[in-house]
Amino acid sequence: MMDPIYPWLDPIEVRRLAEGLMKPHREPPTAVEDAGFDQTFVGYATDRPFSPIAPPSFTPPQPPAVAPPLAPVIAAAVEAANPSIARGSFLDRITRFRDWMRQQFSATGIFILDREGAVIFDESSHGRLHFLARSLALASRRQGASGGNVHVKIGAGATLEVIPVDTAYGCLVLGAVVSDPLSPAHVAAVMDALAQVAAPPN
Amino acid sequence: MISIAVSSQKGGVGKTTLSINLAHAFARAGVKTLLVDADPQGSVGLSLTRQSRLLAGFYDYLADPGIPLERLIVPTRLETFSLVASGQASDYEAGGGGMGAHLARVRAFLRSVAARGFDLCLIDTAAGLFGVTGDVIASSDAIMIPQQAEPLGIRSVPKLLEGLSRLRVMNPRLSVLGVCLTMVQNDLAESTEAAAALRQLLPPEMVFQTQIPRDGLFVRASARGLPIGVLEDGAGAQAVFDSLRSEIEAKLEPSAARG
Repeated sequence: MMDPIYPWLDPIEVRRLAEGLMKPHREPPTAVEDAGFDQTFVGYATDRPFSPIAPPSFTPPQPPAVAPPLAPVIAAAVEAANPSIARGSFLDRITRFRDWMRQQFSATGIFILDREGAVIFDESSHGRLHFLARSLALASRRQGASGGNVHVKIGAGATLEVIPVDTAYGCLVLGAVVSDPLSPAHVAAVMDALAQVAAPPN
Repeated sequence: MISIAVSSQKGGVGKTTLSINLAHAFARAGVKTLLVDADPQGSVGLSLTRQSRLLAGFYDYLADPGIPLERLIVPTRLETFSLVASGQASDYEAGGGGMGAHLARVRAFLRSVAARGFDLCLIDTAAGLFGVTGDVIASSDAIMIPQQAEPLGIRSVPKLLEGLSRLRVMNPRLSVLGVCLTMVQNDLAESTEAAAALRQLLPPEMVFQTQIPRDGLFVRASARGLPIGVLEDGAGAQAVFDSLRSEIEAKLEPSAARG
């Protein structure tokens, strides 16, 4: 008689995963009109150069001549440019956070979703990226107790960085298009900054 | 065209044997079939062509955008059956980069295969669900998973399902054809019990009815560089793969109807 298999796994969880995989895919309805990624968008690198469409008023910053600073410097940068230090309205703080992301990481297409997937902030209306970010954030959370950042290549020289951040108002999912995946130190700095932006007043 | 990745979490579960003989079964039925060796170990090529280590192949296509598909296709004596070997780009044997690194090239490859008029592209991948294998799965229409009928293999099923769930986020249209039990030994209690346990564990539609037995014929066929159905005494084994082909065709029909 062979060793019983079931003590090694959770049959209910296995069945749930299996049944989910056997369901045919249905495109979720979306009310958001995609501005940047049309039917040719495949989700990852393509043969064509990546050319995100930005709002007319937004000019993507040039990539920095040097690599972003390392962890101790990042901490100082967060402190110096910390969007939460000079508090204002939530929108003011988010806007400063966006500017900081652009300055530090040359990030474009920044958006923030709440735990229900609703859009809190979006400078690009990339609806398909919202869905991708939400799915990746959920998938990363299934692996362990707390979700880490996930990144996925979406074009030549373009990576979607997805960073779930626990805040007083629940988990927020930050999405940003960057040229290269962020280092763990940079991710930690971004998480800290967004957590402070979303923190309620003292 | 339909593209099917033959992939598994574990190695040594009979992926290559299944891929070769299933591709042959489709080709015998008149389906214009391309069998692609996406395993850097080059098992398909080593099994079916003695010069496989000299052939340009799939990994060369990934590495060099200048290589046309035509240079890679190896015809066989069966008009409807062609191969693409794994190729010479041996640096992939060390891991081949992260997931997503070759997605565009894999998709370009599949587009070229479709444009060349193939009905089916069956891709034998390396073990694991990451790296180039992940890119192949994230580009394919469907996946089937060979699973050795033994207890250790069954215990890896949760990890397999988690990996597939992640890949399905990246490729939502991926159709999971199911798990195919391989190397089943009806004279060994541990093997039949493992097969029964897997069937009890997973939804019935996720496990193929057809099982691939462990059989010395496979070793003989591989030694002679032939699909098993070509051997003089291979008719019985060929019937197994014909049955598997029928099951796959039945599973693909509803997917095709959904468009």
